[in-house]
Amino acid sequence: MIRSLADISRLAREKGPKKMAVLAPEDEEFMLAVKKSWELGYIEPVLIGNTKKIEAAAEKVDFNLSPFQKISDDEHQGISDLGIRMLFSGEAPIAGKGQIPTSYIYRSIIREEAKAGSGMTVSVVSFWEVPGINHLVAFTDTGVNIKPDLEAKGEIIKNAVFIYHLLGYPRPKIAVLSGQREVGGKLTSYKDYEALQKAADGGDFGSCEIVAATSFTDIFLGGRDCRVDYGAINSEEMPHILLVPSLDTGNIICKLDFFLDVTRSSLVATSRGPVCIPARSDFNDNIVQQIAMSVVLADRMEKTEKEVA
Amino acid sequence: MLNSFQEILAAAKRDGVKKIVVPSPVATDLPLLAEAAASGFIIPILVGNKSSLEDLIKGSLLAVEKYTLVEEKDPQQSLNRALAMVRKGEGDILMQGGASPQELLDALRDKEQGLLPKGGVISFISVFQLLKREKLILVTDTFINNNPTLVEKQKILENALQLGRILGIEAPKVAVLAAIEQVNPGIPSTLDAAILSKMGERRQFGKAIVEGPLDIDCALSHVAAGRKGLQSVVTGNVDIYLVPEIDTGHLLAEALVFFGKMQMAGMVMGTSKPVIMNLPFVSNKNRRVEIALACLACRKGGNNG
Repeated sequence: MIRSLADISRLAREKGPKKMAVLAPEDEEFMLAVKKSWELGYIEPVLIGNTKKIEAAAEKVDFNLSPFQKISDDEHQGISDLGIRMLFSGEAPIAGKGQIPTSYIYRSIIREEAKAGSGMTVSVVSFWEVPGINHLVAFTDTGVNIKPDLEAKGEIIKNAVFIYHLLGYPRPKIAVLSGQREVGGKLTSYKDYEALQKAADGGDFGSCEIVAATSFTDIFLGGRDCRVDYGAINSEEMPHILLVPSLDTGNIICKLDFFLDVTRSSLVATSRGPVCIPARSDFNDNIVQQIAMSVVLADRMEKTEKEVA
Repeated sequence: MLNSFQEILAAAKRDGVKKIVVPSPVATDLPLLAEAAASGFIIPILVGNKSSLEDLIKGSLLAVEKYTLVEEKDPQQSLNRALAMVRKGEGDILMQGGASPQELLDALRDKEQGLLPKGGVISFISVFQLLKREKLILVTDTFINNNPTLVEKQKILENALQLGRILGIEAPKVAVLAAIEQVNPGIPSTLDAAILSKMGERRQFGKAIVEGPLDIDCALSHVAAGRKGLQSVVTGNVDIYLVPEIDTGHLLAEALVFFGKMQMAGMVMGTSKPVIMNLPFVSNKNRRVEIALACLACRKGGNNG
């Protein structure tokens, strides 16, 4: 069972290097992350994008690109399509986003999933490592679906459960988050929680459990009749997966790592392998961590495929 | 400018004693009221059945402090009676007491008997004390409005600016939060944020500098914003965070309390007189800060500007 980002780093060193289609690594910070990941033995990069810009970024971080395959393309959608196609054709078990808007990548993934007939909804999982909590906590969907309806939320849950099974959690616990509180009537997000809990109990999402908690007050205090005591905040009941009601909520909360003592690592799990999608504002150490996460998941997905075959 | 909860408490004390009206107080209100009374910034006026109230007070710390009891035999009428007293100026501040948050809110919004000025919006502001430096930040709306319209967001922002003035923030820097920092017609929060930002640019919010849409990384980090090509005096030094809707607002405030262990006190704004709610994610210690904030809001200019 993978419990921490340190576990992820150790496993990435053991299981790497894996080929990674790197999309537009044209920024110094991102290139530095690629360099470090190569040096750590996580990845063997295939660099796709504007060759001049890629070489300029590499020069700034003193990274010799001569051992690596480079594919020249100047156009965002073209770069994205190429890299994601490599993932789906099996040429590279991981794809990773550089300085390219994420919407291009999602478009490419959606097209390839449609072609593959996988029926998989694209969603982003952002893991938090939180001091004092003995497992990784994942917010989802933090990147694609603006205001998912009930059906889309079900698909988002399935994706996250799939990832947690890969991480070694046979029955992950899920909280469907909502702003439901003592005023304002019943929110859509809360109605969705009620419906999703029934569906989970009926086995719709595989082996998992939706817990009876929709707010952090519920999770940390065990209900809304109690009062916070800073000296006794208890995180023992923290679920593994936190389904957020919307993109606004997910993105705003999951990036609180810029403020709080938590570490974030995000990815998209497609039906053919992980896509590493650091935010354009992330720093190199954080990106290296996200690449490590992709390496480990790619390894576990390969194993699962072999077992199925 | 007040930069910490300690400074808020000290300022409230300097402002002098305020009358705080509490309908049907619950047991957990008493130590809080006793402490605030002992600190010298309030005199509690408790509304309800006198003999029950006397039983409640007996043996509590409030017994040795100055307080007033107002007889109201009908428990259903305690809130209305307390509200009427505050409206008439017989009290300065209304506290939730034994009413439920929804009952309190409904009563405040009542056109005839409430405390909501015409055209106003009641909103809730979470005031956080930063962990690493002496600064207060405001996050709103974190409790009351579910899905505010653009007009309501404007009022919610004005309420926050008013609290900013009470705290002495001269030219508040405001981040109107959304999922991304770019204006995307497919994401409504980014459109509202862009409009509010433009209104700010045209000085419709006075001296406030309003930036939006901002994603949280750009709002929190000047360096992160720079990497996204965004240059603004707001990034990395935000005073007021305006959230798009309640799922985000409530969960964000809770996340800062529970994951971040950040001290939080709440403040109801938009009412004609200060009101104090009783919420589970505010600690007993910080409820005292809420009373102090309400005392400061009794100043000229008051709770709704």
